[in-house]
Amino acid sequence: MSGNLEWRYRRVLRLLPDWYRERWEEDMVAAFLDSWLTGDPEADAYISKAAGPSSAEIASVASLAARLYLGGAGALLRRNFGWSQATRRAVLAVMLVNAVRGLDGLVVTAWSRHLLGWLPASPASMASSSPGPWAPVVWYLVDYALIVVFVLLVLRYYRTAQVLAAVAIVPDLARLLYGEFIGAFQGPSLGPWAFWVLLFLVPVLAMTAFHRNAPPAPRWPWLLALPANYLLVAVPLLAVQATGNSAWLPDFSGLYCLLVSLACVAHAPRARSQSAGSGVWSLTLALLAADAGAYRIFSIADYLHDPHLITVSLAELLILVAAVALVVPDAARAATPEPPPHPHTMASQ
Amino acid sequence: MTGQAFFVLTALADGPRHGYGIVGEVAELSGGRVKLKIGSLYGVLERLTAEGLIEPDREEAHDGRLRRYYRLTRDGRGALAEEAELRAVTARVVRARLRLTGSGAAG
Repeated sequence: MSGNLEWRYRRVLRLLPDWYRERWEEDMVAAFLDSWLTGDPEADAYISKAAGPSSAEIASVASLAARLYLGGAGALLRRNFGWSQATRRAVLAVMLVNAVRGLDGLVVTAWSRHLLGWLPASPASMASSSPGPWAPVVWYLVDYALIVVFVLLVLRYYRTAQVLAAVAIVPDLARLLYGEFIGAFQGPSLGPWAFWVLLFLVPVLAMTAFHRNAPPAPRWPWLLALPANYLLVAVPLLAVQATGNSAWLPDFSGLYCLLVSLACVAHAPRARSQSAGSGVWSLTLALLAADAGAYRIFSIADYLHDPHLITVSLAELLILVAAVALVVPDAARAATPEPPPHPHTMASQ
Repeated sequence: MTGQAFFVLTALADGPRHGYGIVGEVAELSGGRVKLKIGSLYGVLERLTAEGLIEPDREEAHDGRLRRYYRLTRDGRGALAEEAELRAVTARVVRARLRLTGSGAAG
């Protein structure tokens, strides 16, 4: 109904900087359409066909664009906008990974306890090997909590998600400490600690980037990403594992590197064309690559006894570096702070 | 505080409003003298959000579009009260001076 009118107004809004449109465009379009449409289908169809933004409306957008490009009172907020937005997306992505792992854990637990009657008995190799007398119900709750944390973040229950996430990562910390205490880790235990720090602690701390004034993440794409990733990534891996071919699989750190590398390659065309909003996604991928790379480097210590696994790990790291190099120039564009506003400009606003 | 920002804050003083709701309320408050264009409105909303004087309240679906509502923060309410007081004092001073100069000119 509002197609043409909306399209014309969105064309005018292209005068505005990408970061501003990302945050305000939908709101502006809704307000603009409200100012035109009457609710009467016939009248609205005519208006949509015949009307367009007035010259005064276009001038107001042009004036706003000029102020934004030249720096204004909101510049202090905007200087960190690219970083904040990228941090929020990276946290969501890591929590998505954790949620998929949680879902995988729930399915494996159910399978090993014969709750999935239509499946054959699970192989013994898939049984949990956590050190310590940890009741399965604790891990069941942790897996469940990781899924809930992700969903809460997407639905904007930020405070509840932060508290639940902080609680959910404690059992794993206790497991690590207990493992160190009883000497359950054979050799260095950098890998498990790196996992806890880089995939649990850092994202939980970074959740402070979510606040009520932050632009909300689009709900459905993120929510659908959970079952999609489970089906496309976890299920095939589970099948390979269940058929006794797990020697062909990369470890979790390698998988993390490869998934981030794939995402970088898929995003590279947009990053090269520097299309609207691509910079923040590039910065998001760069942050994820840093997380995955750090985890890969620390977890190599677990393979010091096996030159082949060290070679594989280094190859995964090289793939990650090559892939992230494709998006780094675009990421740098989003990460570069805009110049601070002139004090006189600030004072006069 | 600019006149537009003052009117926008005033429009939000009695409850949250969405973008076009603010435009209508500002027009009514100003007796039709201030007709905010959408570009101007969102320039003001962005500044007031950055300064912590207003914040998003909720979103409601309307005709397939999401309307985002805004509300005053506690700081915003304080800033509006201060500005209203300042404008009232200024108006009293201006009226007093106009009366003085008016009587001087008459005598």
